[in-house]
Amino acid sequence: MPIAADSLIQVSIKAETLFTIGPLQVTNSMVGAVLASAILLGASWWFLRGASLVPSRFQSAVELPIEWLSGIVAGSTSRWRSYVGLVVGLFLMILIANWLGVLPGVGTIGLVKETEAGKELVPFVRPAAADLNFTLGLALITFVVFVWWAVRLHGPIGYLKELAGEPRYMAPLMFPIHLISELSRLISLSMRLFGNVFAGEVLMATMLALTTAAIFVLPLAFFVPAFFILLELLFGLVQAMVFALLTMAYITLAIAEQQGGHAESDQGDHAPSGAAQDASAPAHS
Amino acid sequence: MNSNLAAGLAMIGAIGPGIGLGIGFSKAMEALGRNPDASGTIFVPYILGLALTEAIGIYCLVVALMLIFIK
Repeated sequence: MPIAADSLIQVSIKAETLFTIGPLQVTNSMVGAVLASAILLGASWWFLRGASLVPSRFQSAVELPIEWLSGIVAGSTSRWRSYVGLVVGLFLMILIANWLGVLPGVGTIGLVKETEAGKELVPFVRPAAADLNFTLGLALITFVVFVWWAVRLHGPIGYLKELAGEPRYMAPLMFPIHLISELSRLISLSMRLFGNVFAGEVLMATMLALTTAAIFVLPLAFFVPAFFILLELLFGLVQAMVFALLTMAYITLAIAEQQGGHAESDQGDHAPSGAAQDASAPAHS
Repeated sequence: MNSNLAAGLAMIGAIGPGIGLGIGFSKAMEALGRNPDASGTIFVPYILGLALTEAIGIYCLVVALMLIFIK
């Protein structure tokens, strides 16, 4: 039976439900998210078991990117120790979740369901970030954390004053605008990650469908999707980094230090060198 | 059919971020050419600016994808 190239492009914008446990619908993107966390937890457990103070070559290869990222975080404010875990954790989680998507079998192995439109494949695993619920959840964590920092350091009144803006008589106009700009961070954070990963999925499906038609003509057709998989790996890394760095930038803006902090930014590329930086930073209220 | 056309029209909005990303990248390269040592300092603001600019294009993409896939 000949297959039209059109029918090979099967991407649904919402995650498909695999099965239900009571009121909870277990979707395939939840499986992807849990799988990513399990990989992360397992890898860190295995890694920490063999870690030593004098790093082996493999250990320093793993530590290098994490130290690089935490070095950037250390350059942001003097309170970086409170949120470096969040930033690096978000980076690793999104990175693993994105890179899961290019593994063979993810998105291609699944159940075939009969619908009124015809046969439809429901994959067991879907890249977690190709579901808006996952990215919105991560963005909500970031949102709560940076609002919490602003309220904690400036007080609820100070935070509202910050939203009202400087010329006090402009407050009725500026307050809604600032409120919308705060909320738009939530939307842009989640939509950016979702849009990128979902567009990547659509791109991969389209490329596979296009080249499957030509696979008997050109052996080269194998290499075209491979190139796009390489591109997907790059995009996954960049998006994870963007999400983590934006989280850092929003928290930095919320903390809004006047003094200190910036003196350290020159040493930002160094690994976090511990107490020396904390001691040199002036104390804050 | 009409929604496919609308999706195509929605992607016209990707012109703006495309120009913006080009300007941003060219300026970053210019700065790098003038002062290669500053690459570490330029990198983080550059990535952030790239992400914020790109978000506008992603909004268009999300609208287009919704028009295509949500019937």
